[in-house]
Amino acid sequence: MNPKTRITRWLAVILLSVGALFMLFPLVWMVSTAFKPQVDAFDGHLIPTHITLANFSAIFSSGSGASVLRWLVNSLFVGVTVAVLVMIIDSMAAFALARLKFFGRRVIFYIVVASLVVPFIALLIPLYLEFAGANMLDTYWVLILPYTANAFGVFLLYQFFLSIPKELEEAAVMDGVNKFQLWWRIAVPLSIPASATLGLLTFMNVYNDFFWPLVSTTSQDMRTMTVGVQLMAVGQYNTNYSLLMALTLCSVIPMLLAFLFAQKQLTQGIATTGINL
Amino acid sequence: MALRVQTAPEKVVQRGKSRRSGSMVRIIVDQFTSFLFVVPFLIAFCLFVGYPIVFGFIVSLNHWNPLAGPLGFAGWSQYATLFNMNTLAAQQFWLGLKNTVTFVIISVPVLLVLPTVLAYLIYRSPFKTLFRSIYFLPTVLSVTAVTSLWTWLLQTQGGAVNNFLHAHIPWLVEQPWAWLSIDMATVWRTLGFNLIIVYAGFTQLPQSTLEAAALDGAGAVRTFLSIALPQVRHVLAFIIVTSTISSFNLFAQSLLMTGGGPGSSTEPLTMVIYNQSFNAMHMGSAAAMAYLMAIILAAISFVQYHLTRERAS
Repeated sequence: MNPKTRITRWLAVILLSVGALFMLFPLVWMVSTAFKPQVDAFDGHLIPTHITLANFSAIFSSGSGASVLRWLVNSLFVGVTVAVLVMIIDSMAAFALARLKFFGRRVIFYIVVASLVVPFIALLIPLYLEFAGANMLDTYWVLILPYTANAFGVFLLYQFFLSIPKELEEAAVMDGVNKFQLWWRIAVPLSIPASATLGLLTFMNVYNDFFWPLVSTTSQDMRTMTVGVQLMAVGQYNTNYSLLMALTLCSVIPMLLAFLFAQKQLTQGIATTGINL
Repeated sequence: MALRVQTAPEKVVQRGKSRRSGSMVRIIVDQFTSFLFVVPFLIAFCLFVGYPIVFGFIVSLNHWNPLAGPLGFAGWSQYATLFNMNTLAAQQFWLGLKNTVTFVIISVPVLLVLPTVLAYLIYRSPFKTLFRSIYFLPTVLSVTAVTSLWTWLLQTQGGAVNNFLHAHIPWLVEQPWAWLSIDMATVWRTLGFNLIIVYAGFTQLPQSTLEAAALDGAGAVRTFLSIALPQVRHVLAFIIVTSTISSFNLFAQSLLMTGGGPGSSTEPLTMVIYNQSFNAMHMGSAAAMAYLMAIILAAISFVQYHLTRERAS
């Protein structure tokens, strides 16, 4: 490597490090504020002079009027349920579209792809009225069902199933395997990495969604974590930033864990499809 | 849905045999059992995408109160109202559209250039994995977490940003700072997403081309502009289209950081529609706005797609 390239490389490292500080600083500041007593919140110190857990105990104490634990459980339950349903539904659909032949296959595939460009705002009002008519507003149904129509996942797994070698399928058919077994015993095990990516991205999308839970739930008990943070930010914790940052920190912990343990799946899913859910 | 999965196999006919026998009934049965795999998805899709698209259009042709239901047929009048600037609905709609377009203009170039430059720097530097992780990290956070965090950072009194700059900038409450605040929070959260996509594009660069450029004495900037960028032009075109769509859907950042203010200057179209349906209770009119917005967005995406594709190829 010539000296000029070496200088360029280290210049890149310096620039990237400065940028990385800007990326990380807001998060560090959030953690710092969350562990500060309320009187110190505005002191401007990055390292808290007094470290306290009082903000966290205040958040989870039942007396504060907030039901943070309930919101967290709601978000996790809804996110996991949707992820599992989507992985099953989309895997079956993608398998049939990619590997089986039937009338209307092409039409269905084009509809799936076209639906990716429909903005959520166009669905918001009719979806709300649909669930209001079914008397399902403010229940788990309204928080789960709309997300099960996940065209993105069909698209993602479709591309994966196309790449399975034909010989593998033919060998299985020779052995007298039926279509369902072909899907369950061959396609599903092969697609575990792709399905895991889909499951994670779906969980992230549902856990982080704000607009739909905001309009479709009203009672304190049915709120999700994202809506809870917003409610407290404009309500009780409006100027109490120690409490608000402690709550915000709690709200992002599941996603930070997902980031730590499954970053590769997340980034691969994004890199291969480029589609934001 | 799970039950359906288990009932499928009993009816299944083996494909190999059905081909050979060639009987019409067998082909139909074979096609039908294949079709069964798509049924769970189709049910969900029809109920929660297909039906709302049709139903939303019907709502937009009626006066509709969220509590009382339909209040009479309106025909095209709620669309026509949006083109009559003497009405409040029209004024709000076009102001909202103007604000949304403003945000698209100030966010999309940043969301294109910054991730591209950073992705290239990472591609050419050591510690690739570490840097990619750091820049990607905020992408996994929810929009409410990001806005509550940035609202705190951007407080005029005691906010970390003003402390750092030793300034008293009224970030969230005065223009142009309000737009800049929303833009910063959005870019901070989403640049990692685009970075991952562009980075994947750079990894397809043939190493030999880069070495040849270095031998020819091409500098770093020159190599980036003349060799790396053309390689990822399709990716960049894709990012322009998808970033425009996501910026067009701006909602939470305005609602939570500035409340649409000062005045209505950061109130995007989505917020106008939200207020029209859930606060003013004019769901029919709001549905008409949402439909018009979807059409405008589809038109913009279509034009962008064709313009960027022509340039790219």
